[in-house]
Amino acid sequence: MAEVDTAVIKPEMMKSYIWLQTADGSIQEVEQEVAMFCPMICDEIIQRGMGSSKNNAITLPQRVNPSMLSLVLDYCRFHQVIGRSNKERKSFDEKFIRMDTKRLCELTSAADGLQLKPLVDLTSRALARMIEGKTPEEIRETFHLPDDLTEEEKLEPLKNITDDPRIRLLNRLYARKRKELKERERLKNVEVEEECVDDRSVDDLLSFINGGNEDSKGVGTSKNKKKNRRRKDQQKNTSSNHAIETTHKKESNCLKSVHDDVEINNNLQSSPSERSKLQDIQDDMFSPQANFEDGDIDDEFDPAIQEKIDREVEDFERILNSDWPERMLSLGRERKPTVISANGNGSLSRDVSCFTVPLLTYNCFRFHCDTHYC
Amino acid sequence: MSEDRNEMPEPEVDTRRREIAGVLTGEFQSPSPDQVLENVLENVLLFLTSRRDRNAVSLVCKSWYRAEALTRSDLFIGNCYAVSPRRAIERFRRVRSVVLKGKPRFADFNLMPPNWGAYFTPWVTAMATSYPWLEKVYLKRMFVTDRDLELLAQSFPAFKELVLVCCDGFGTSGLAGIASKCRQLRVLDLIEDEVADDEVDWISCFPESGTCLESLIFDCIECPINFEALERLVARSPSLRKLRLNRYVSIGQLYRLMIRAPQLTHLGSGSFSSSDIVAQGDQEPDYISAFAACRSLVCLSGFREIIPDYLPAIYPVCANLTSLNFSYANINTEQLKSVICHCHKLQIFWVLDSVCDEGLQAVAATCKELRELRVFPIDAREDSEGPVSEVGLQAISEGCRKLQSILYFCQRMTNAAVIAMSKNCSDLVVFRLCIMGRHRPDHITGEPMDEGFGAIVMNCKKLTRLAISGLLTDKAFSYIGKYGKLVRTLSVAFAGDSDMGLKYVLEGCPKLQKLEIRDSPFGDAALRSGLHHYYNMRFLWMSSCRLSRQGCEEIARAMPGLVVEVIRNENEEDKDGFEILYMYRSLERPRIDAPEFVTIL
Repeated sequence: MAEVDTAVIKPEMMKSYIWLQTADGSIQEVEQEVAMFCPMICDEIIQRGMGSSKNNAITLPQRVNPSMLSLVLDYCRFHQVIGRSNKERKSFDEKFIRMDTKRLCELTSAADGLQLKPLVDLTSRALARMIEGKTPEEIRETFHLPDDLTEEEKLEPLKNITDDPRIRLLNRLYARKRKELKERERLKNVEVEEECVDDRSVDDLLSFINGGNEDSKGVGTSKNKKKNRRRKDQQKNTSSNHAIETTHKKESNCLKSVHDDVEINNNLQSSPSERSKLQDIQDDMFSPQANFEDGDIDDEFDPAIQEKIDREVEDFERILNSDWPERMLSLGRERKPTVISANGNGSLSRDVSCFTVPLLTYNCFRFHCDTHYC
Repeated sequence: MSEDRNEMPEPEVDTRRREIAGVLTGEFQSPSPDQVLENVLENVLLFLTSRRDRNAVSLVCKSWYRAEALTRSDLFIGNCYAVSPRRAIERFRRVRSVVLKGKPRFADFNLMPPNWGAYFTPWVTAMATSYPWLEKVYLKRMFVTDRDLELLAQSFPAFKELVLVCCDGFGTSGLAGIASKCRQLRVLDLIEDEVADDEVDWISCFPESGTCLESLIFDCIECPINFEALERLVARSPSLRKLRLNRYVSIGQLYRLMIRAPQLTHLGSGSFSSSDIVAQGDQEPDYISAFAACRSLVCLSGFREIIPDYLPAIYPVCANLTSLNFSYANINTEQLKSVICHCHKLQIFWVLDSVCDEGLQAVAATCKELRELRVFPIDAREDSEGPVSEVGLQAISEGCRKLQSILYFCQRMTNAAVIAMSKNCSDLVVFRLCIMGRHRPDHITGEPMDEGFGAIVMNCKKLTRLAISGLLTDKAFSYIGKYGKLVRTLSVAFAGDSDMGLKYVLEGCPKLQKLEIRDSPFGDAALRSGLHHYYNMRFLWMSSCRLSRQGCEEIARAMPGLVVEVIRNENEEDKDGFEILYMYRSLERPRIDAPEFVTIL
């Protein structure tokens, strides 16, 4: 059992071998040129000098068990030979991946552990083909997977009001501030610093954090759109239409309320910071007294707490940022629907009936959410 | 522990050893398939691109749901109000391409008042911060503003493809923003949009130093463009393969472009007429050579104001064409024949009915590979004579056996021809027959068109899309309900006798996704019969039917996951009356951007 120094490749002598150790502890010798086909093994040899003897055998990742290693090495043994044609390789691959699902999964995992991308792709493709066209149930059967999505999760129900993270955060914020206030009241002693009672609402606070950007609310004029759709209308009319218009004119939009809505949103985007637009809307959309009753937010906070709250508020901001229409609606849930009015040239008056849809019933409808993405 | 060279330990021995080792170390047990697969699931999912497969994968189990959500790169949303931007973004974090569809199709025919909705703004706003690597946006029937385009151009440095189909709300100033800021832009396709003329020279806004443009389609733009700038643009866009010009480009200008871009595969020829009167003896450019030089041309369209004398110019490319769109070309039978006789490879053909039945017969004689045919009416009034009829349809059915999709406008039709088509063209997937003129029966037998459409659903086993017309009784609907098991889209106008008609369809067609009905006598009872199915549908549209507000309210109460919109005509005084019922499933609260004439129940 002469130990061959495999750090130096001696082509004219017998083949070089390296030592690999699998997770079960077993160690084996493998032709170096074959094993080096795997980038992970290659790295171990070249960069870390491992594998030259049984004592410093390269430890393979756990997911490479001996039978998988054997398969991988078969693959490498074939492909590392330079002279083979593409056709040969393809033919080999096709035969190679014919195995049961379980082994195919293990092989993919092993190849991934060894960073052998061509084999990962080959096996992944094969697995993908086994998934194509199947129903979820069939896929579970094929791969012996648990059915652990709850009915609720499959249906992707809307979250309950109290579940909404935004509302929760806001509530927490208030609870904290209320607590602070109470604390203050309790501990207040004679020596009082300059009282700057801050009776701004949370909205104002947010705007303060943002540096209070200016209101950018010019509503742009909508365009005058006329279009002659002579033949176009006729061509597209798939119904025997008694009133096929030969021309179609879109009148200039006379600032329909909904258009204002859109315009305002657009205009706000041109303001310097993206976040500020949110608070602009907040300022406009909510009548100050309606929601945030505890408008009397405390004066001086403990700086640490202040910081924490600031961070929370910023997180809150960021969450809000992406979805202001939904947010409007969600915050609308907390109070009686009011007429929402906006600054600017138009007024958004919403039919109150929009808000009368019972919300909690949204938790239990019965269709797969995924169909929306299909 | 084997030390033999090239020898693997015996599996059985090893297993035992392994088990022992596993017990000792507590580490090595045979991992469950779930865990094993989880390591590599993301890799596997890279190779799954179809939406249906992806949706199936996401419903398998928790870990697969997560993996799929992380790896989905193509987001498709068939109804922009079914899902909110936030929900989509929270679930799918690494999206590169987005498809959004807005208004229902009947909105194209002025059946829906303008400003109904389908705004792109909330989407682009949300995506701007969450999908920084967005590359492609495809919008259909959405309202897109110039500001939206501006935001898009600013927010996505890797942006490559913008395709807008049947959209409105923007103008050439929005396009200028896209052209100038999207440096990686490869595709700018404007298809049947309404584009306002802001008098901005957007063509000049593309980067001076060369572009990666592969496709530039602007044939719907109804305002002049700066031709010299376009010529320079084409010259500095070596990757350009698809170019569709609007009608403000004359044939002389087309020539100049073609000689600069012989590599084009798709060409929209603009007006195909001269801008000036060409005097006798004037040297006209050699159009034939220009076409002959385009050896890769496979798709030809345009001809917006065609002077038929120029038609022979396209002869050199006919033999290679797979797609020919003459739907704006007012040409007669002979003129068509001269062209079509060369088009053996044609698969897609759109044409005006000015070519008459005889023109269609010529198509049937030559175009054996035809997959899709659309015959549009040049004169869409109810009582005109109608140059195409059952004769053309019959001929097509006999000559073009591989036909998969047909849209056919006519004034008169017979059951026999439709039945013939159902038998000859068994590969039909889309059958849309529009007999203009309400309630027209078979003009030879005088019978309703029930049997014809019945034969279509019976014999065309792959049919997924159907549009029916003519005089139709409930019997036609019973056929559809009985045989149309794969039908996903159904378009009905002026058809049916009673509620039974709609009931047949709602109860019989399990795959029905999109149902649009106008001017048909279906009422509340019929509406109720679909309660079991509405959550499986993308939408239901019913206009000028026999619905009452109470009926719609009942549906809204029974199905909280549906958004039920009743839409009034803008002029209508009666606040309770309505013209249109449009309802769709949604995961969200009803939208708040609805205009005043829309009431959400």
